[in-house]
Amino acid sequence: MRPLRDAQLGAFTFFASALPHDVCGSNGLPLTPNSIKILGRFQILKTITHPRLCQYVDISRGKHERLVVVAEHYESSLSDFQKQGKTVSPEKVLQIAYEVLEGLDFMNKHGMVHRALSAHNVLMDCKGNIKLAKFGLYHMTDHGADVDFPIGYPSYLAPEVIAQGSFHPSDPSHDEAPLPSGPKTDVWSLGVLLFEMCAGRRLLQNIDISERLKFILTLGNCQTSWRLILCVTNYNCPCALQELPENVLELLRKCLTFHPSKRPTPAELLGDPLFNGVSCLYTPFQKVVSLFSSSLRCAHLELPEDISDLCKDDDEDYLSERAIDEVYHLWCLAGGDLEKELTNKEIIQSKPPVCTLPNFLLEDGESFGQGRDRSFLLDDTTVTLSLCQLRNRLKDVAGEAYYPLLEDEQSSLPQSNSSNELSATVTLPLIIRERDTEYQLIRIILFDRLLKAYPYKKNLVWKEARVDIPPLIRGLAWAALLGIEGDIQAKYDSIDKDTPIPTDRQIEVDIPRCHQYDELLSSPQGHIKFRRVLKAWVVSHPDLVYWQGLDSLCAPFLYLNFNNEALAYACMSAFIPKYLYNFFLKDNSHVIQEYLTVFSQMIAFHDPELSNHLNEIGFIPDLYAIPWFLTMFTHVFPLHKIFHLWDTLLLGNSSFPFCIGVAILQQLRDRLLANGFNECILLFSDLPEIDIEKCVRESINLFCWTPKSATYRQHAQPPKAAGDNGYGKTATYYSSDYQDMPKTDLSREPLALSDLKAEVSPRVSAEDLIDLCELSPGGSTKRTKASKPKIVAVDIRSVEDFSRGHISGSINIPYSTAFGPDGEVLQCPAAGALQNFRGRVIVSVSFSHCQHTAEYFAAHLVKVNFPRVCILDGGINKMKPTGLLTVPSPQI
Amino acid sequence: MKKNKGKVSSTAEKEFVFEFRAGKHNCVLKVPLQFPVQENISDLHGRLMLLHKIPCFVEIELKTSLSNFIEKETIQDFDREAELALQRLTTGEVDINQLTNAWAKSYAETTLEHARPEEPSWDEDFADVYHELIHSPASDTLLNLEHNYFVSISELISERDMEIKKLLERQAAEMDKVMQELGNTLSDQDVNAAAAQHFEAQQVLENKWASELKQVTGIQKQEYQEWVIKLHQDLQKSNNSSKINEEIKMQPSQLSEVADSGARLYEEQPQLEESFTIHLGAQLKTMHNLRLVRADVLDFCKHRRHGSSGAKLRRLQTALSLYSSSLCGLVLLVDNRVNSYSGIKRDFATVAKECTDFHFPRLEEQLEVVQQVVLYARAQRSSKQKDHFHITLSSAGTAASLCSLMESSACLSQGEFYITRHSNLSEVHVVFHCCVDDNVRSGNITARDPAIMGLRNILKVCCTHDITTITVPLLLVHDMSEEMTIPWCLKRAELVFKCVKGFMMEMASWDGGISRTVQFLVPQVRAECTMCDFWFHNS
Repeated sequence: MRPLRDAQLGAFTFFASALPHDVCGSNGLPLTPNSIKILGRFQILKTITHPRLCQYVDISRGKHERLVVVAEHYESSLSDFQKQGKTVSPEKVLQIAYEVLEGLDFMNKHGMVHRALSAHNVLMDCKGNIKLAKFGLYHMTDHGADVDFPIGYPSYLAPEVIAQGSFHPSDPSHDEAPLPSGPKTDVWSLGVLLFEMCAGRRLLQNIDISERLKFILTLGNCQTSWRLILCVTNYNCPCALQELPENVLELLRKCLTFHPSKRPTPAELLGDPLFNGVSCLYTPFQKVVSLFSSSLRCAHLELPEDISDLCKDDDEDYLSERAIDEVYHLWCLAGGDLEKELTNKEIIQSKPPVCTLPNFLLEDGESFGQGRDRSFLLDDTTVTLSLCQLRNRLKDVAGEAYYPLLEDEQSSLPQSNSSNELSATVTLPLIIRERDTEYQLIRIILFDRLLKAYPYKKNLVWKEARVDIPPLIRGLAWAALLGIEGDIQAKYDSIDKDTPIPTDRQIEVDIPRCHQYDELLSSPQGHIKFRRVLKAWVVSHPDLVYWQGLDSLCAPFLYLNFNNEALAYACMSAFIPKYLYNFFLKDNSHVIQEYLTVFSQMIAFHDPELSNHLNEIGFIPDLYAIPWFLTMFTHVFPLHKIFHLWDTLLLGNSSFPFCIGVAILQQLRDRLLANGFNECILLFSDLPEIDIEKCVRESINLFCWTPKSATYRQHAQPPKAAGDNGYGKTATYYSSDYQDMPKTDLSREPLALSDLKAEVSPRVSAEDLIDLCELSPGGSTKRTKASKPKIVAVDIRSVEDFSRGHISGSINIPYSTAFGPDGEVLQCPAAGALQNFRGRVIVSVSFSHCQHTAEYFAAHLVKVNFPRVCILDGGINKMKPTGLLTVPSPQI
Repeated sequence: MKKNKGKVSSTAEKEFVFEFRAGKHNCVLKVPLQFPVQENISDLHGRLMLLHKIPCFVEIELKTSLSNFIEKETIQDFDREAELALQRLTTGEVDINQLTNAWAKSYAETTLEHARPEEPSWDEDFADVYHELIHSPASDTLLNLEHNYFVSISELISERDMEIKKLLERQAAEMDKVMQELGNTLSDQDVNAAAAQHFEAQQVLENKWASELKQVTGIQKQEYQEWVIKLHQDLQKSNNSSKINEEIKMQPSQLSEVADSGARLYEEQPQLEESFTIHLGAQLKTMHNLRLVRADVLDFCKHRRHGSSGAKLRRLQTALSLYSSSLCGLVLLVDNRVNSYSGIKRDFATVAKECTDFHFPRLEEQLEVVQQVVLYARAQRSSKQKDHFHITLSSAGTAASLCSLMESSACLSQGEFYITRHSNLSEVHVVFHCCVDDNVRSGNITARDPAIMGLRNILKVCCTHDITTITVPLLLVHDMSEEMTIPWCLKRAELVFKCVKGFMMEMASWDGGISRTVQFLVPQVRAECTMCDFWFHNS
């Protein structure tokens, strides 16, 4: 979005019309409230950026179908001229006309019509340039169908608009919605507006509305309608109009052509020779190139001859150089309250509800005895939102903070006097950080700059994302984390999303049930976009199919990239192979079964007590965890929790979801342990509230304790071709997948599902063991100790075998002597050592041919609630070729 | 309402033709397009490229020509429609006066700029003033004043009760005497005459008291409102409000003494109650409070005399929230007549009269208005039905049946309800008088029962009018009878609870999930333990 510059933020409010009581939609579900429809249709307006149009920023729903729209705003408008009663010079009139037409033409290109053109909706910035306001009202209200009030102002309505009639929704005699108006209606309104400028007064102001409209309609009898206006309004200085230059008269004549078929469109008028003298002053608008496209983003970058020109004015207002939506976001964080602002200006006036109660209601819900509440009438005055509070809040932020240097990879936070404060903020809970104005400002600026440098600065994006992701730019940040590149729009456009496919019916059923508490996703626009993105994914992945749950998976991406379906699609397409590889196969049972088995091994690994209990009551992951993993938890959590969860998930590898699953179970641990099968089923049928921040923290902790190879799955995504990303994101321990590691002899071998199911504890590869025990021949490892789990190898071979060679640092508990008849660990010195190592990762080591003893041993340990038990894959035999086994020197 | 959107009627298919040269071949692409074009042009373009295997070197050309074509045709469509509309006017198909009047009407009814200026309303001004005062230090004084007035009404009522009681005793004695003489000196006729005379005397006495009460409350209300307005003016005038604060503070001490001495004692049954917090919703959960209360429905209306501190707090709470956006409502189950002559309606009216309502009209006046509104609603309905089904009233037959129709139209049917507003009840601002018939006492009702739908509509009004606490009779009855067995109770409670829970989830989509309190009321006699059992199973 454009920077704020000298613009202000303005807000205006209106009510959507109430729905008739107790009418259901064709699908049997309740109708969508009109305010939600408007909210959905509004979103596209945020992308309409043009220097002649006021940028739309946000819309919010209040109580009782109230909507508040926030947009770029200026205090001065054309009605200032009218108030002064001055005529405007012909040159200025032409200039105004040209600029308005530029705005209208741009709107028309996006399929929109203004319809509400009037003197007070044509604003002027401080340089006198035209900015059209409220241009989206007609679009967002579905041509006025979703609101009670007519769109447009009586004096400026084009004759055909009047002729097509006003359709008051409360008027039962009209069943049809009004016909949509075309772009030419705006040309008429512009003509009236320009006429007023030339005449220096408002037209038809003192006449009753119905007379006014009748007058406009009768203009058709006269060829030159504008002259007629002249006579009727007793324009007292007719000579002034005669004195107008011919091109202005011609312009008026063209605009005020009564018959729409003869009236030019804004585009035609713009190209008219009468603007020859004006059009040369304007350069055509260049659309800003977005992040993911094939064209060069810096193609139109022009640096001044002398770079120092850029930093000439020192006392610049840095905040106003930020984008409008950023400023608004910060304004909200700094305590801005739209309704309060509007209430203070008495735009929102509400009566006490007890005074407006109806007297009587019929059984079908129709109410009687309730007078029409005046506070529901339209007052579309735009209120300027004061930025004082925000500026005050940010007055201590140094100028350098607005332009952080990205070269220095060490300190990303700017060095200012408030940096100490900021580093203190980093340690606060996420919820608080997301509401901290100053902190968000710094983070947004940082991410904004990093993303502008994407993919070059990919590494830094990863690094900063580990701290947190500012909510305002989460969509793009996620795309960067998922490594989206290339011309996604072209790719998306080339997918056929219209031709019916067999999956359509299921998609149609699922969408109205997916995250519908959310205003965006429950809006009709949301449903359309949902359908398109899902269809695009299904069509473009012929080997995969639509499984229920894909809709939930799509929801967060669509929500974040509501105006950019292509990006939502690209993110989803990148996310699924990374975390849900082959989950959407037509026959996905082997993938899911393996996944769930590994999950139950992870439960046993991290929480043996819980695992024992759940296995005992037969509450296996198949009963509850499939929707968790198939939708990556999007089916079980509301969007705001998913965002925080996925902020971390996207940083981890494909085994991170296991840890999230275990963390969720651990949060419900007490209730699970205390209950039997039926209660557990009931508990999970409607998952209780989960503290998501705690869950994230826990799952990171669990992840750090999990050896990489423990979550090995043979059906996981095969390793990617090396060197596919040119900018070489340095793989870290946490983000890289086990599968991505080069495969060696020491890696894990695939295991048949039935065998895998039989094992309680996960296997780890010899490679991992060597790595974690720091046995590598070189002696020293690159990584620091702190980031790795503590490990101990338990050799369960006989004492003789042990003495013939073993892993250094391992302890020997021969299997035959380890357990007593009741399964308890027998008292022996080694067992005591084992107790001491409780809490570390315990690797049970045996010969490969008696691997089952290692399994039994591990299972026993789990039974007696030893956490973090695993088995060495391939046994000691795998270790032999490495030459890392040590033979203890005989006791001296 | 909008059955077929006008756009549908004007769809038309047009053919887009695109020619290009590929090598030596001249290729022509013809695509039928539906106008107005709903789909995205770049999508359409992508699909054409894919479907017809268009070579990529004409990709851009195709796109511009496609969008030009669509733009041109759309403009033509707009023009045609517009010209048609104008033509209809010139041909007289549409009346110009009607048209412009409709426009003028919709501007006048929906926009502030063109709406008629609002006539000042005493009620709302008073509401503002009161709301301001009750949230100021003057609240204490207001409450004390209200209480003072209440005490004097109470005194009147007890005097009335005493007098009526005396009359009844005297009449009973007389009647005894008459009965003894029956057959001897007096005939049946004499007994009847005596009884009639007694009845008349009662009526006279009651009427006398009723008019006196009405007069006193009228005076009280007027005094009170004048005083409130004056206090507000005084407060506004003097910026150094300390003196007035002083004045305000002075009053209560002397008042409270009077208050205590005049207190009438009410026997009070201990309320049994239990609260729960529930989370509704699949993914996003909204929190609501449920409370199961064993009490009489009128307990929420009656002012409790003793333990005055708690009572006072409750009064303050009710007064504070009167003009706020967190109101308290109560569902009262009534029969199909709008009056206060019998049963629970009479009891409720008695309670409502115990204390002057300083803000809203008296209950009788409100009910009169309701009666008129009901008649109006019926008239509206029947005229609408006439439109729809061409049923005229004349077909209903003779004047007699018309009369009975009028008669019956004043009655409510099941599930309909009227609303009264009160400032003088202890915990309730709004009372929903929901009509139920005897069927709910005996029969097995379903979720589609009118009474349940009435509950849904009540909750909807709660939504639109910020009633955040609502009390609902869990069993849809106010008193228990023999045939209401425990299984019956459980079944009924489950039905009502499940339905209300469903409506609350529905409400979340109406108002964005505002947290609410729903109190479920269980009549006094039923053993609570079973209810609680039920409760745990469901929540």
